[in-house]
Amino acid sequence: MTATLDVTEVRDAVADLLADRVTPAVLEDAEREGWAAGVWEPLHAGGFTTVGVPEAAGGAGGSVAEACAVLEAAGAASAPVPVAETGLLAGRLLAAAGIALPDGPLTTGTGEVSFDGRALSGRLARVAWARQAARIVLIADGADGADAADGADGADGSPVVAVVDPAAARITPGTNLAGEPRDAVDLDGVVPETTAPAPADAREALARRGALARAAMIAGAARRVGELTVAYTGERVQFGRPVSRFPAVADHLVRIAEQVELAAIAARSAAASARDGEPAALEVAAASAVASEAAGLVAAAAHQATGAMGVTREFALGVLTRRLWSWRDEWGGERAWSTRLGHTLAAGGPEALWPTLSRGVRG
Amino acid sequence: MIFDPTPLSPAEEELRAEVRAWLADVLPDDFRPGLGLGSRHDPEFTRALAQRGWVGMSIPTEYGGAGASTVRRFVVIEELLAAGAPIAAHWIAERQTAPALLRFGTEEQRRWFLPRIAAGECWFSLGMSEPDAGSDLASVRTTATPVDGGWRVTGTKVWTTNAHLNHFAVVLCRTSPQGDGDRHAGLSQLIVDLGADGVQVSPIPLIDGEEHVNEVVLDGVFVPDERVLGEVGQGWAQVTAELAHERSGPDRYLSVLGLYRAFLAVHGRDPDAVRAAAIGRIGAQLWAIRQLSLAVARSLEQGEAPAVEASLVKDVGTTFEQQVVETLRDVAGGEIDPGGPTMFDRLLAECVLNAPTWTLRGGTTEVLRGIAAKALTRSAR
Repeated sequence: MTATLDVTEVRDAVADLLADRVTPAVLEDAEREGWAAGVWEPLHAGGFTTVGVPEAAGGAGGSVAEACAVLEAAGAASAPVPVAETGLLAGRLLAAAGIALPDGPLTTGTGEVSFDGRALSGRLARVAWARQAARIVLIADGADGADAADGADGADGSPVVAVVDPAAARITPGTNLAGEPRDAVDLDGVVPETTAPAPADAREALARRGALARAAMIAGAARRVGELTVAYTGERVQFGRPVSRFPAVADHLVRIAEQVELAAIAARSAAASARDGEPAALEVAAASAVASEAAGLVAAAAHQATGAMGVTREFALGVLTRRLWSWRDEWGGERAWSTRLGHTLAAGGPEALWPTLSRGVRG
Repeated sequence: MIFDPTPLSPAEEELRAEVRAWLADVLPDDFRPGLGLGSRHDPEFTRALAQRGWVGMSIPTEYGGAGASTVRRFVVIEELLAAGAPIAAHWIAERQTAPALLRFGTEEQRRWFLPRIAAGECWFSLGMSEPDAGSDLASVRTTATPVDGGWRVTGTKVWTTNAHLNHFAVVLCRTSPQGDGDRHAGLSQLIVDLGADGVQVSPIPLIDGEEHVNEVVLDGVFVPDERVLGEVGQGWAQVTAELAHERSGPDRYLSVLGLYRAFLAVHGRDPDAVRAAAIGRIGAQLWAIRQLSLAVARSLEQGEAPAVEASLVKDVGTTFEQQVVETLRDVAGGEIDPGGPTMFDRLLAECVLNAPTWTLRGGTTEVLRGIAAKALTRSAR
């Protein structure tokens, strides 16, 4: 069996599982209540929430490419649950730190948090589903010198991975444009349940996986936007014919298709670049830059093509475009990743430019 | 859609390294890269390349080629285009004419033309557009009338690149009058010897001052029966079949690589945030578009004909190329100076004047999007 086949099978399996479960009513409820147990439970029970986390660490195993296949399908379905956070983000962070995965939805985020050997203090901003997570996983700076507790993790000032019960933290609810929970988490002397020394480059690796996860979700959602837009413009009749027959409208459909394919091949290529479960820096930066830009272009073209119907709450498009407009900025956004990639390419110099960009996707 | 990440085999990567090393060796240090297809017509380079077996690679060995896969050819032309190598002499013959001969040609034609193409000794132009037939190729008026032993061809072709240097042109012409029914019926492809009596080639100077495209007037030019390509009356189907090969290749996103590299050489040291973002965005897009193009190549290799995907790649690629020119101009700042001190100055000037053609040749953006839109809406029904 080839790697490609595996990935396609995973994508199809998740799409099938979600097809009847993520309904407009479920999405409305999820926005109001911040949770969709009927979506989470079958995904979790099927092992799809921890794909990409080694089995030895309590995950479902599988490659980063397979994890991203799950996320593409979850993005296409607008699944309102922390699949990326539980597996590829928090799950892998725990696995890398040698901490067994707690059961249930997990999340993680970034912010300035310090650990004095006993308790955490600081704040994480815009944490996905912090309210509903069973545990929050984070990277904190260890304290050194007089503040440090002897022998504790992080006592030499190096960062630690910490696991926190959300009930012990002060959580201020927030959302993204799609109504998905993005909460502030204040930790004022919260004692973590578990800590372990953070692996080298843990922050950087987490940011990469976050960006890749969002790129995969964007690719899935954008493809669904394309399908909806083609279908609607094929049915909507004006001046006696389907509006998709007007070249100016057809132009939108083609540009959507192009951006969908660019985002998808970028996310999939970056996922395929992973070795030992960690996607490569250059590929993630490129994929994120491409997918985040595509998100905005696809959303704009789809709304223009679908007219007033597209901006109503009744029509399925807005559920997806509100996600595209949110996900494209989470874990970076196109400018941040383009700038990083640009610095890397510039540092390599003109002679290395083409050899770097033509570096193959490894099979 | 057939787009999935396409790994290259170790053998394909080795070939890439080999071509790259050879190019570094043969191109001079101060080499000014050509803009992809717009690179120089250099018979000496073409012959040297052919000696390495890198011209007409996908031609089977029995016809003098290397019998290489579509992807191995992709790897080689990618390296040539990335370097801006002077490939114009053999480009059309190897990209378009050789596959057409393999698909539609007679055994005799294959035995005569293909070894010469693979040797880099036989160069072709495309005789498609006319003064009144651009995007609407079915309206060509050039006419071939049957005579004893062949055809007399009369008409005018335009935008015929390098017709003044090449040996032959594949001319799309009418072999039976346009009836009331199918406009695409009655078209044929004839291989016209550009040195034959009655062929008159005159340059059409372009806005960059270059004279490499031509008007080709055919005044009763005799073409023997054995130079008909494929079936009489099947010209339209044959031309359409060529398009997947023509449209999606690396020539659709690498025209600007030389400019991008030159920008890095001049402005790439410790770039500010604006320039870094520009460099990064271009790199990211190029990286992704290349993966799409490679996926089409692999699909062609497996015997598929991904015509719609190829149209999408061409549209994305050529639009990207134009954006690159504008972006780099913008972030470099200053005035465009064709005689400026740096390679970037000179290439930028050349790119600005050439960029409009990138979304015209090989099917305009508008035509391509029309083709793609039809397929998208058809598959949805």
